[in-house]
Formats: sequence, structure tokens, C-alpha cells
Amino acid sequence: MTRKDSILTVDVDEPQMTLTLREICERGECHAEFVIKLVSYGIIAPVEEGPEERQWQFDLAALARLRKAQRLQHDLNINLPGLAMSLDLLDEVQQMRREVDRLNQQLRQLMGEW
Amino acid sequence: MDFKDYYAVLGVSESASPEDIKKAYRKLARKYHPDVSKEDDADAKFKDLGEAYEVLKDPEKRAEYDELRKYGARPDGSFEPPPGWQSASGFGRGGYTDADARQFSDFFEEIFGGGRGGNSGQGFSGGRGFRQSNRMRGEDVHARLALFLEEVFQGCEKQVSFRVHEADDHGRIVARQKNLKVKIPAGMREGQHLRLKGQGSPGIGGGEAGDLLIEVELAPHPLFSVEGRDVVVTVPIAPWEAALGAQITVPTVGSRVKVKVPRGSSGGRRLRLKGKGLPGKHPGDQIVLLQIVMPEQHSEQAEKLYQALAEAEVNFNPRSKLHV
Repeated sequence: MTRKDSILTVDVDEPQMTLTLREICERGECHAEFVIKLVSYGIIAPVEEGPEERQWQFDLAALARLRKAQRLQHDLNINLPGLAMSLDLLDEVQQMRREVDRLNQQLRQLMGEW
Repeated sequence: MDFKDYYAVLGVSESASPEDIKKAYRKLARKYHPDVSKEDDADAKFKDLGEAYEVLKDPEKRAEYDELRKYGARPDGSFEPPPGWQSASGFGRGGYTDADARQFSDFFEEIFGGGRGGNSGQGFSGGRGFRQSNRMRGEDVHARLALFLEEVFQGCEKQVSFRVHEADDHGRIVARQKNLKVKIPAGMREGQHLRLKGQGSPGIGGGEAGDLLIEVELAPHPLFSVEGRDVVVTVPIAPWEAALGAQITVPTVGSRVKVKVPRGSSGGRRLRLKGKGLPGKHPGDQIVLLQIVMPEQHSEQAEKLYQALAEAEVNFNPRSKLHV
């Protein structure tokens, strides 16, 4: 059951938007304890880390990472230390893939294969 | 409807033990998890895996599936359950699984039925339904958008299509395709997120609509590569330009500039053009990577000149670092 709607032009608002602990829980459909644990394991971090959890602000990248952590935990049954390590390694892999792509492109150009 | 061979999906034989099935699933789930794999169809593969495992790990469902596999599959690969077929294992209502059956295929639905209907009552937002109130915020939609470098520099308008879930007149949750044209500001970075407020799934019972959250990616460019905030371009020069220095024209994103090649430049030398990299509060630089290229053929005169050069530079050993 899908219907198409007409195209609406939308301006992007608040690219620097942040979320409170409550808001990130609401959007991530999880409890605050889970977010606090993710912060304590360094999996996500508030924009400015303070002792007062109520004052934490998270950016949208933290929300995306929270959701990734949830998927991995749910689908692969990973505990928190494993999750922290997996996400760090995945970041590293992504960075390396990008680096390899970039270097391959430069190498091809240096070999004259444009 | 196509028949789904769950044994093939998990790469196990029909006689595989529950332990083998679990092992195969765990291994493939790690491999094809959409957050881990970079294969394009990882998402579909992972869903198939989940579906296959959901059936084969459960002795009752597996027995039913084996029965159907024997009698229901047609030689052309299509499938129709035998008349009067009804699953005894009644998936989705007993709550003995935490899999989200809404993700599963029509084939699954046809055999084990009730999965999607049974689950959609649980909640608007992925079946985890922890909120009891009737008033619910619509779910956020997460999307990725690849931008060309030119679009990052100039800003652009992009059409995005995505699916939202909303309640129909009967209160059932249905998917709807939504199309939006989005104005993307200049200076986006890879991995940056954009929020389009209220453009996600509508809320229920007067709840607020969710947002559309877009993560920006950079599409590969044939000429330029990106290193952090810097844009790198490889620029070929002639040997005499490298030796004598030269004023050359190099491309920048969306334009071109004149650059001075210093006298005596070696191949691989990097020239930095301040502020010509990715735009933003702290714009990056453009890096010109020099590449010395030879003409495919030299004229007789050029060869003579090279000969003279070889005699004049007899003390130069380009391989001194190799100790030869």
C-alpha cells in the first residue's frame, strides 16, 4: 500500500541540532541506563561531557551510533565491552577502506590510468 | 511466489543438526550484518538469514517447513502451499521470539502466517513497543545521501525517497513512499547529519511526527580525492616543466587556477593551495600532487637534447637511496 506524494522542497534546518538524554532515549527507544552505559564505555559521548547527566547534549551522529550499537547488540548478541571494541574496529575498518580507495585512485592516476 | 530454500541460505544440509544451524547462522550473521559488511546486498542477505534461522532453529517450524519443501515446491522454483495449509506453530502470537517478523518475506508470511499482523499491534516503532500511551511520536527515518564534491562546494537540491509508516483508516500500520526535494547547504562534511524536522513518520493519536535524519556521504570523484578537509588532485607535468619551473593551470572543484611549479620539482611533490579545499568555517586546502609524464614519442631533436643532458648530469645518481 504505497502512494506517491508530490515533491515538496524543504530547507534543512538546524544542522547542529543536539538532543538531551531524555530525547536521545526517546528517539533511540531505550532506557537512560543504556545510554549512560554507552557513554561510560566510550561508545558515544555527549558534545560536552559533564558530571550532570541531565545536562548532557548529544549530536545526531551520537544517535546514529546509538542505533548502530542497538542493532549489533540485538542481532549479534554482543555485550557492552564487545560492542565498544566492535564499533571501534568498525570505525577503523571504515577509515582504512576510505584510505585504500583514495590511495588506489591516486595510484591509478600516477600510473596514467585516468 | 518463489520458494525460499532456507537450508541454502544458511549453507547447511537438510540433515544439519541444530548446533550446526546455530553455528552457520552466527557466522553468516557476523559476515552479512549490514553494519559490518560493505556488500551492496548485505541488508537483503541479513534479512534472509534471520528468516531462515527463525524457521530452522525451531523444531516445530523446521518440521513444517521440511514437509512443505517436499510437496510445495514446483519444478520452476515457484511455490504454492498445499490447499488447506495451516501452520500449527502459529508464529508471532506466542511471543517466543524477539525477531521482527514484519521484516520477513511473503513466503514466510504465507507459511507461518500472522507474523506481521501479530506484531504490528505491538508498537509503531520496530515492535519493541515500550510506551503504553496512545499518543506516540512518529518514528524517525534514517537515510544516507551521497553528494558529489561539486554539490558539497556549491550546495544543491536533491530528491530523496524514503518510506514512512503511518496508520491507515482502519488503524493498521502501512508503509508509504515519500519523496522530498531537499536543499542541501554548501560545506557539508562526510558523516555529517542533517535533520528535516517532522518529515519522518507521522505521529499517532496527535503525537508529534518523527524527523528525517540524513547522513551525508561523499561520492567518489574521477579527478579529486578528499583527505580530511583537503582536496587532492594529481596533475601531470612535462619533465622540462619540472626542471625549469612553470606556470600551469590546474583544475579546482568547479573552477581552475594558475599554479607555479617550482624549479627542480620531483614527481610526487605536493603543492598546497590555501583555502581551496572543502568549504566551511575552516576551509581545507587543495593539494596538487605533481606527476612527471613523458611524451609517448620523442623527436630526434629531443633525443639528442636528452643525450646532451645525460652527458651534462653524469654525476646524478637517481638510485642513490637504493645503494646501487
